[in-house]
Amino acid sequence: MAESYDIPIIARGNIIMPGEDAVEFAGRGGASFRTPDPHQHIHDLVLGNPVRLADLMDTPMAEIIDFLNEVGKRMHIDDNPYLQESFELALRAGGLAEPILKGVYDGLPQMFDPVALFEQADRTIGVDYLDGWVPAPGDDANVRVRAVGTRQLHITAGNVPVVAALTIIRGALTKSDVLIKAPSNDPLTANAVTRTLIDVDANHPVTKHVAVAYWKGGDEFMDSQIVRTSRIDKITAWGGMSSVKHIQKFLTPGIDLTAMNPKFSMSVIGKEALESEATMEEAALGIAVASGLYNQTACSNTRIVYVESEDDEESLEKVVALGSKVVAAYQTLPDVISTPADKPNRDLDAEMEAVALEDDFYHVEGDTISGGVVVSRFADRVDFYDQLNNRVVNLVPVPDLLEIVKWCDDTTQTVGIYPESLRERMLDPLSLAGVQRVVGLEGGDAMQIFHDSHSLPPGMPHDGIEPLRRNVRWVIDHRPSHAALPLSIAAE
Amino acid sequence: MTQVATAGLELSADAPETWIDGGFEPLYEISWRDCEEVQTNALIKRFEQLKGSVAALDKLARREGISTISSVEDALPLLFDHRIYKSYPLAIIEKRQIGKLNSWLDRLTTHDLSQMDLSGLTMIDDWLDRLDDFGMLVGTSSGTTGKLSFVPRSKVEFPSWQRSYYEAQRACTGVDAFTDPVPTFFPGYRGGHHMMLKMLNLFNIPAAGGPEHYHTLYQTHIPADLMSLAARMQAAEDRGELDKLGLDPALLKARENMIAQGKRREQDIEAWFFKLFEEFRGQRVKLGGSFADLIRTANSGIEKGLKPEFGAGSFIMTGGGMKGFKDAPDDWEGYVKDYFSLDTIGMFYGMSEVMSMSPRCSAGNFHIMPVTIPLLFDADMNLLPREGVQTGRYAFFDLMAQTYWGGFISGDEVTIHWDEDCSCGWKQPYVGPQIRRFAEMEGGDDKITCAGTAQAYDDFMDYISEV
Repeated sequence: MAESYDIPIIARGNIIMPGEDAVEFAGRGGASFRTPDPHQHIHDLVLGNPVRLADLMDTPMAEIIDFLNEVGKRMHIDDNPYLQESFELALRAGGLAEPILKGVYDGLPQMFDPVALFEQADRTIGVDYLDGWVPAPGDDANVRVRAVGTRQLHITAGNVPVVAALTIIRGALTKSDVLIKAPSNDPLTANAVTRTLIDVDANHPVTKHVAVAYWKGGDEFMDSQIVRTSRIDKITAWGGMSSVKHIQKFLTPGIDLTAMNPKFSMSVIGKEALESEATMEEAALGIAVASGLYNQTACSNTRIVYVESEDDEESLEKVVALGSKVVAAYQTLPDVISTPADKPNRDLDAEMEAVALEDDFYHVEGDTISGGVVVSRFADRVDFYDQLNNRVVNLVPVPDLLEIVKWCDDTTQTVGIYPESLRERMLDPLSLAGVQRVVGLEGGDAMQIFHDSHSLPPGMPHDGIEPLRRNVRWVIDHRPSHAALPLSIAAE
Repeated sequence: MTQVATAGLELSADAPETWIDGGFEPLYEISWRDCEEVQTNALIKRFEQLKGSVAALDKLARREGISTISSVEDALPLLFDHRIYKSYPLAIIEKRQIGKLNSWLDRLTTHDLSQMDLSGLTMIDDWLDRLDDFGMLVGTSSGTTGKLSFVPRSKVEFPSWQRSYYEAQRACTGVDAFTDPVPTFFPGYRGGHHMMLKMLNLFNIPAAGGPEHYHTLYQTHIPADLMSLAARMQAAEDRGELDKLGLDPALLKARENMIAQGKRREQDIEAWFFKLFEEFRGQRVKLGGSFADLIRTANSGIEKGLKPEFGAGSFIMTGGGMKGFKDAPDDWEGYVKDYFSLDTIGMFYGMSEVMSMSPRCSAGNFHIMPVTIPLLFDADMNLLPREGVQTGRYAFFDLMAQTYWGGFISGDEVTIHWDEDCSCGWKQPYVGPQIRRFAEMEGGDDKITCAGTAQAYDDFMDYISEV
C-alpha cells in the first residue's frame, strides 16, 4: 500500500500544510508522508523570546484546566476525524492489537479529567506556585517563590499514543511552551491532539504554545538551530541516550535534559507460590497479567520471572508446573488486557525452538501466538532475554531472591511481587538498586490485578522522576526584609 | 540415478566432497538443473548417514516427525537455524563448565567427543585447541549479540574444504594456490579459532608459501573467551567487579591489549602497509583486508605521497563490507586498483557455516558451486520458487559436510538468479552483488517502544539515525 499522508507543521495555532517546499519521507507500514520543509520553519517552531510566555503565565490554572476539559470532551475517537486518522496509522505501524489500541484511545478522554489534572499540578508543583508568587512561611515572607514555565523540546516515542497527549497536558500544566518532535512511526497522534486544541480555541494561550513537527533524526541543521539556550530550556527525550545521540553535541549547561530511558521489567515469586495448586494458580495469573498486559509491548511488562527454588529435579518440576499454568492463564485474560498475537514473532520462535532442543538446560512451552514460557533449569536467564515479547516469559529458578538485586538497575522499571509477604524483604534493596515501582500479583482476579497495578493517583513519579516539577523554573523573588516587615505587621 | 554425467563430468551422490576434484571449470559448465537429481540423492544419503549419530538432528527430526526424506522439500524443516550453533547457556562459559560445553557440542557432530580428555581445561581457547588435536576443526563466529557460535567441522572435511577454497581463489584471480604460492599481507590478527582467522591460517599460510611469507598486522589473536565474555566483562567492569568474575589474569591483560590495539588500529595498518610497500617493492604479492582497510590505506597513501610498486601479477583478495566506513568512492574498486597499481580484485561470497565459497565472476556475481544446494525463503519462511530472480533469506544444504548436518538458514538477504544467464559464461545459480545482513536491517522493520529490549534500542537507534 503506497498511501501518502500530508502532515502539517502545527505552530502555535497555525496549521502549515506541505506546499511547494514539501519534503517526503517513508513511514512504517508502507505509507509515505509529506511535510513542509522544517528548515524553512525554524522560527515558527521555536519561541525565541521567552517573555512571550507571559500570556500563559497570566492564565490561571483553573482556566487552563477548563480548556483541557473541553479538549478532553472531543478526545473520543468516534467523532474526532483527526484521531480516527492517527488510530488507523498507529494500528498499521504499531505493535498493539486492535482491541488494545482501541482501549488506549478510549482512555484518552480520562487523561483530561479536570479533577485529576488539578491534583496532578497541585500535588507535584502546587497550583499556588503556578498561579502566583508564594511567600516562604513565617518571618521569611519577604522571600517568594514561583514555578515559572519553560521552553521545552520533547522527542517523543511512538509505541503508546498516550505519550503525545501526555506531553501536551504536561506542557499546559507547567504553563510552558512545548515543541514536539514527532516520531516517524507515529507522526500523527500529536498532530491530532493539537488540531483538536485548535478546534476548541485557536487563540487560547495553551494552543499558542504548542508546536508539532517532524524532522529527520540526526538533522544537524535542525538540532543546531533548535537546541540553543536562547531557544530551549528543557529537553525530554524518550528512549534515553540513544535518542539524544545526535543532539548531545549541542547540549550545553543551561539546557536541562530528562532522558526517559527504555525500561525492562520483571517479577519475583516466593517459594510459597509452589506450595499448593491454588497458590501456583494464583501466582500464575499474576504473572500472566504482568507480562500479558498490552500484549507485552510496554516497558512495565514482566519479561523475566525469578522463582525462589533450588535447581534439583524435584524443585524444577514445580517451576515447570508453574510455567504451564502461566501459559494456561494467558488464555483466560480478558481481551481488553491481552489478546493472542495476530502474527508470530519469527525470531523469538526460532530462539524458543533452538533452546527447546536443549532439554538439559531449558523447558519450553507455548509459542509466540498464544503466549509461552521458557523455564531455565539453572539460575540464569536465557541469553535472548532482551527479545522476550508476544507474551513469552522466562522463568528462572534462584535459591536466594536477594541475589537478583544485582541484576536490577536504572533500566529495571517495574517489579511484580508474589506473595505480598515477600515485599518487605525485597522493597528496600530493589529501590536502592534502581527499581522504580513494585507492584503486587496476588488476588487471583485478572481485572483487579490490572487495575491495581495500572491506576496510579495523579501526580505520581514517572520512572523515578517527577517530570512536572523538573520542567518548571523555580524562581525566587527575594525582597529586602524591611520592605516585607510593615506588610506582616499590617496583617496582624 | 546416483550419478550425473554431463560433458564428461561425473558427480557421485555417494561422495559430493569429491565434486570439486576436477576443478571449478566443469562445474560451471553444467546447468544446476542437471545437478538437481544427484544433489537430491546426495542429500538423502547425507541424512541417512547422519541420523542416529548427530543428536541435535535426531531431536529436530523427531519433533518434525521426519524419519526419511525423498526430496529437498522434505528436508526443509531440518534446516538448522543459526541459533542451533549457539544454543548453550552463556552461564556455562562464564563458569567455565567445559564439560557441559563439550557435551553440548557432542550433540552436533558424529565424532564421539565424550572420548576426549578434558582434564585441566579452563579456557575456551584451550578446549578448542584440544578439539583440533582430537580431530575436530571447530570454528567460532560471533553475531550481533556477541554470543559465540561453534561450527562443528572436523578434519574429515578438511581436504575438500581446502580444495574448494583454492578453486574459488583460482576462479576469481586465476592463481592456483596449490602450485603458485604468493607472499600475502593480511591487516589483522593471526591464528585463533574464529572461523575466518582459522581459515586464513589453514589455507592462506600454505598459499603464501609458509608462515614466514604470511604477514599479519598483529601476531596474536582474539581469545574466544574474550569474545564470548566481552559484554559481561564490560558490565562487570562498570560495576567495579571485574576481578570478581574470577577470570584468568592473562585474559584480563589480553583484553586491555585488545582495547589499546583497537584504538590504534587505523594508524597501525597504515604504518604496516607502508613498511611492506618498501620491503616488497617490485615483488609479486597478495593483499587481504576489508574494503574499508584498503580504501583508508589508499586515501592516506595518496595524502602522504606514498605509492606502492608491487610486481606484475599482484592481486587483492577482499571482502567484509564497508563496516564503519562512510564516504567510500562509488568506484572504490577502480580507486583501489589505481592506487595499488594492480588489475585483479578477487572476492568470495561465503560464511562460517558453509565450506564451498562462491567466487565472484567477471560480471560481479557470485556463482554457487553444486556441492551447496541453495534455497531462498520469504519473510514468512516459505520457500521461494527456484526460478527467475528471487530475493530472500539465504539457506542451504552444504553437501560437503560429512560429520555434521550441513542444512543451515543464514542471516543474509540475497538475490539469486536461477536462470543461469550471467554474461560471464559460468552456469549455476548466482548471487547478485547486493548482500544484506538481516541483523543490520531489523531496526528498519520494527517499531519504537519504551520497553528496554534490544529491539527497542535498535528501533530507537534507527529512528534517530536513519529516519
